[in-house]
Amino acid sequence: MSNLKVLFSDIGHRILPAFALLALLPLWELLCRLFDVPSFILPAPSVIAEAFMSVDMSRWMVHLWATLRVALLGFGLSILISLPLAVLMVRSEFLTRTLFPCLVVIQSTPIVAVAPLLIVILGAGEAPRLVIACLISFFPIVVATTTGMLATPKEMLELSRSLRASPVREVWQVRLPYAVPHIFSGLKVAITLAIIGAVIAEFVAAEQGLGYFVQFSTSYFRIPQAFAALFFLSAVSLVLFKSVQLAQRLFFGWSLPSDDER
Amino acid sequence: MAGLTHAADQVTFQLDWLPGGDKAPIYVGLEQGFFEEEGLDVSISQGRGSNDAMTKLATRQADIGLSDITALMMARAEGEMPVKAVYSVFSEAPHAFYTLEESGIKEVADVAGKQIATSPFTSSNLFLPLLLDINGVDEESIQLINSDPGTLAPMLLTGRTDVVISWITDHERYATNARSAGKTLHVMPWYDAGLEFYATSLIASERFLNERPDVARRFVSAYAKAIEYTWENPHEAAKAVHAVVPEVDVEMAEATIRSIRPLVYNEASDAHGLGAFDAERLATTWEWTARAQEADMDMLDPEAIVDRSFMPGATQ
Repeated sequence: MSNLKVLFSDIGHRILPAFALLALLPLWELLCRLFDVPSFILPAPSVIAEAFMSVDMSRWMVHLWATLRVALLGFGLSILISLPLAVLMVRSEFLTRTLFPCLVVIQSTPIVAVAPLLIVILGAGEAPRLVIACLISFFPIVVATTTGMLATPKEMLELSRSLRASPVREVWQVRLPYAVPHIFSGLKVAITLAIIGAVIAEFVAAEQGLGYFVQFSTSYFRIPQAFAALFFLSAVSLVLFKSVQLAQRLFFGWSLPSDDER
Repeated sequence: MAGLTHAADQVTFQLDWLPGGDKAPIYVGLEQGFFEEEGLDVSISQGRGSNDAMTKLATRQADIGLSDITALMMARAEGEMPVKAVYSVFSEAPHAFYTLEESGIKEVADVAGKQIATSPFTSSNLFLPLLLDINGVDEESIQLINSDPGTLAPMLLTGRTDVVISWITDHERYATNARSAGKTLHVMPWYDAGLEFYATSLIASERFLNERPDVARRFVSAYAKAIEYTWENPHEAAKAVHAVVPEVDVEMAEATIRSIRPLVYNEASDAHGLGAFDAERLATTWEWTARAQEADMDMLDPEAIVDRSFMPGATQ
């Protein structure tokens, strides 16, 4: 294959998913017009686009930044908490048996129910929102990291022990590298959850942010505007998801399957 | 703020819900400088309902704010809530039925046998049985459906329900939707059908009232001034809300301010003065609340939850 051909097939590969999504829009528009669906029930894409344009770009940026900031900080916090936790659990069966049930309990608690409590405890500022984003996103990272480290081949562990590697080196140089693909699949789930967490937190207490804006718009029955914010949110999630993929390709390229850079 | 020779007193104001035309006075106070004149530096915190607002006042996250007085009465009857009402903002309750003009439902008595949609958490639900009772409607005859607040207007406009329960502060939002669907809205405020009592009030944490009574007094007086300005100049008031919260549009806010005027200026405010808590009406408010909640009347002395000494011109 010529280089040009490779380039085109590569571009095709990348653009196809976007086209699939875009193809849905005319269909949606058509159905809305055909059945004359009122915009307070399901607005057509053109109405949503209009609503998007009618909001000042600077206002969008204010809301976007508020949500993004909380989601990213919460995500970072959850990485800082879950990696050491996973290491501890791999090292000690006692900790696995005691910690894991606690983690499951935390994970299965409806965040919306505890959110008001967190706000009373932590105040109405950014702290409770951060904690909510972190709480909702740390679980997949812990599980993925633990699974990945436990999947290290026995022979490798035996080899490292026969060479008298310290426990720290065993984790750092053998187990963690083996876990990298798992960790990244956990991170990909976690980043989208962090956005959801930030939005949920804004439903409960916030003065700005895309979640706040959705709630505000629906309480004023401005459904097209709410949809526009939702689209914006999905776009942001998509970009963040892609960024995690990109980070894996840039820094841990070796952890990807060799034939294909998916 | 640069240029001030002495530091202004900080006050955190707690809204009971999201900003809008019905919350205009606090923004008017800021924009027109009423708070600044009293040496106050006011910041506004948004809320998610009366109970949320009270909790935030009780947990020292705000000093003074808004809440439905019936919610405060219930909270105080149930247990400790270090919060008191100091000024009445809406002296009529905002509960209302919404129907479409073509439905033929003209008054509360006509809802007999109809389907009524409401949102699960509104306090209106508590008062509904009383309203039906005093208007001779058999409660068994109506079919009540609970739905998310955002779905109520669409349900009414598409004919999925005959009647919707909402506050008259939502009038303009429903009307806009109805217009876009080519229909005409009919609103029946419950205060016209015999349910007359106090509603939204200025409430403050007891700590704030005890520790900084002078600040509280200055705040209430500036807020009272802002209320009068709001209903004398609805357009300017709407612009003031928009200036602080750009998401609120001026036209909608102005229409809301105009449409809720009867909640502020009515027979009760004519008789007892703006902001006043008349003892008899206050007792009636508790009586309705207790009946609605099926609570014992003795659980609360309604006088214990108000403090009239912060009213503008009150003798200290």
